[in-house]
Amino acid sequence: MIVPIIVLTGLIILPLFIPVGWISLVNEMLILALAACGLNLMLGFAGMVSFGPAGFYAVGAYATALILINTPLPFALAFIAGPLIAAATAIIIGWFCVRLTHVYFALLTLAFAQIIHTIVFEWYSFTKGDNGIVDIPIPSILKSITHYYYFSLIIIVFCLILLWLIIKSPFGKALQAMRENAQRAESIGINVRLYQLSTFVLSGFFLGVAGSLFCGFNKNVFPNYAHWGKSTEMLVVCLLGGIYNFFGPIVGSVVYLFLDKVITGYTQYWPLVLGLIIITLLLFLRGGIAGFIAERLSLRQRKGESDKIA
Amino acid sequence: MMFRVENLHKTFGGLMAVNMVSFALERGEISSIIGPNGAGKTTLFNLLTGHLKPNSGAVYFKDHEITHFSPHRITRSGIGRSFQKTNIFPRLTAFENIQVALMAWKKKTRNIIEKADHFFQKETDEILGSLGLGDQKDRMAGLLAHGDQRLLEIGITLGTYPDLLLLDEPTAGMSPEESQKTMELIQQIVRSKNLTLLFIEHDMNIVFGISEKVRVMHFGSIIAEGTPQEIRANDQVQQIYLAEDE
Amino acid sequence: MNLQGVIIQVLSGISTGMVIFLIAVGLSLVFGTLRILNLAHGALYMLGAYMCYWISSMISQNAGGFWWALLFAPMGVALFGGLVEGLLLRRIYDREHLDQYLLTFALVLVVGDLCKLAWGVEYHLVSAPWPFQGPLFVLGMPFPSYNVFLIGCGPLVFIGLWTLIRYTRLGRVIRAMTYNREMASALGTNVPLVYTVVFMLGCWLAGLGGALVVPTASAMPGMDMIVLIECFIIIVIGGLGSLSGAFLGSLIFGLVNAFGILVAPRLAVAFAFILMIIVLIIRPWGLMGEPE
Repeated sequence: MIVPIIVLTGLIILPLFIPVGWISLVNEMLILALAACGLNLMLGFAGMVSFGPAGFYAVGAYATALILINTPLPFALAFIAGPLIAAATAIIIGWFCVRLTHVYFALLTLAFAQIIHTIVFEWYSFTKGDNGIVDIPIPSILKSITHYYYFSLIIIVFCLILLWLIIKSPFGKALQAMRENAQRAESIGINVRLYQLSTFVLSGFFLGVAGSLFCGFNKNVFPNYAHWGKSTEMLVVCLLGGIYNFFGPIVGSVVYLFLDKVITGYTQYWPLVLGLIIITLLLFLRGGIAGFIAERLSLRQRKGESDKIA
Repeated sequence: MMFRVENLHKTFGGLMAVNMVSFALERGEISSIIGPNGAGKTTLFNLLTGHLKPNSGAVYFKDHEITHFSPHRITRSGIGRSFQKTNIFPRLTAFENIQVALMAWKKKTRNIIEKADHFFQKETDEILGSLGLGDQKDRMAGLLAHGDQRLLEIGITLGTYPDLLLLDEPTAGMSPEESQKTMELIQQIVRSKNLTLLFIEHDMNIVFGISEKVRVMHFGSIIAEGTPQEIRANDQVQQIYLAEDE
Repeated sequence: MNLQGVIIQVLSGISTGMVIFLIAVGLSLVFGTLRILNLAHGALYMLGAYMCYWISSMISQNAGGFWWALLFAPMGVALFGGLVEGLLLRRIYDREHLDQYLLTFALVLVVGDLCKLAWGVEYHLVSAPWPFQGPLFVLGMPFPSYNVFLIGCGPLVFIGLWTLIRYTRLGRVIRAMTYNREMASALGTNVPLVYTVVFMLGCWLAGLGGALVVPTASAMPGMDMIVLIECFIIIVIGGLGSLSGAFLGSLIFGLVNAFGILVAPRLAVAFAFILMIIVLIIRPWGLMGEPE
């Protein structure tokens, strides 16, 4: 528990020490971390592999953008609308998806995400198609990078606390039981389909928050927010950090974006490097980075105990 | 009659898996179903617990018909079932395995806000203790020894406070000594909680220690029913088992 | 749109369908036998396309450059696939689905960039080979004769695979393993060897599809994922693991696409997805598949 508090303190005082360009990067990392944690609720804790999380991320972003551009509603409302509309979409899409499992589930989530992408891309009159929506008006107090950073930080920390509570709650245990053995979970009285749908919707909600945050951060939205490339980015981030650990996706997104920025500075072949990293991780570092650290820590703890006995 | 099965019938394509099976269980009865592999015992259990739908026939529990209930409704009715293949939650600890069953039973799993760690701690510890797993409560279930996993399997079933226990080959994969100890443990638990127990076994020796009544299944039908002594003396049953040994 | 136009569209749709059948059937075969959804399948298709271009550019057209490429490119891809299977895939067979998806996705990244390294990011075209260089005239309208050749390839490969699966020992083993892997291994089948062979066959088919497609579309970055997603649609519609399902699904896909372009060009890409969604909702195991 101490580590997160130290990290949080660090994040709060960070803007005092680093240049504005870096603050922007950290902000991006935090938003991606939230998206990945939202995905991981489904992926790592409930064992539902989705290929389409970017769909809900984009719905959140576009909902906020469209409200800000087309209506006089204040930013706060537009911002809250994003995740709510994303969650509503998740109820509909999820209802269809949870009736399937494994590879069929994954492919159906992909298909729906692609539909969302196509709608956004082609409905030019409403969404401006592949030009995207640019110059989105946000309150002047949030226009400075540092101010938006603190805004993001507050929202993201709040959401992560919610996610933490969900995972540690009886509901969270039920999800993990479902992940481990869906048939057994059903037979001890857990309505698996209902719980999977609930997880899908919760996941969609948090993905929507991340999308809305990014909309305000970037002040532009584009159809590629719904593209499978974005979905894969989120999946890779979860894997990198470790899907069975709450902090995994957070670690993963920091490492991923950091590597992205550094390596694209040296070479245009970042995908190649990323591919090799993924292969190495999968073959040699199975719990992801956070998993690896957690294992080392528990090994040291056990060694400490046996040393005491000896 | 606590539990009644009437003319339960199931075919798969042309294959008759369960053939017009009828029997009844009294409250507190400890009985078993034995038979060679492929006799239809597990299929029968699957029919009783909603994992399979019968072609015809009915199942009554405490005079309510439960024939077409889904597995989780069956659990809610008070019937607990364990499986032949170890069916636990490997990456959860032994404690969590049983705790989650208790939480699901008490409908606490809708709670998304409170920390789960202390829910039903006493009850979980009690079940773990009665199975002799107390000292392993924080170990990941997947890392437990096979025999302990089978016990945990039963523990999960107990977490749903069943009135009727249906155990499918609870000692599968265990050595004779382990099996004996396990069955005695089960008998103890069943007696202390006043449960009704029906278990599947295909080794006759294990059955005789604790089963009051034995039913023999062969090719989907119950061909004999009686006390262990009667069954042991039954020529037809002997033939089936001798034939199997060949 | 007049009748001739419609017929040309139908033929066009069928030729698209036949090419994508070659690619989709490899994916389906690998899934049915190894139970792995190989996300790198599209990348192998792309590799086949690039290798075809490469070999063609080295041998002159008069010496039958394209045909040599058609012979060797799929083999090259199959060899590459064999290496990948032996060194990497083998280690993750008993891992969770997510690990398998991510490993094969990593291969997409690696192969994609390797192709960029080797052949750059420009489009590479190969001209249609002799004797399929000119158009055929169907009801007075021109239709590329090469596309007619493509239409013929589909059934040829289908018959070849059908024969393999029906009448050879390997085919019997594949069928057994599709139904029940443990049984097959208990019966003494050398499962790892079968996996390698089937995977290489799948790669060969992907490479063949890529090589065949180069005269009509170019070899270019990004072609891997486009085709992969199209393959998903097809094997869902047809049924994962089914040969005739892949054929039927490809035909349906080709025709839906062709008519989609006629009817509502901007939404055409969504039609196939909508069909995929409908199939997944009503009959998830596909038209020719069987529920598990």
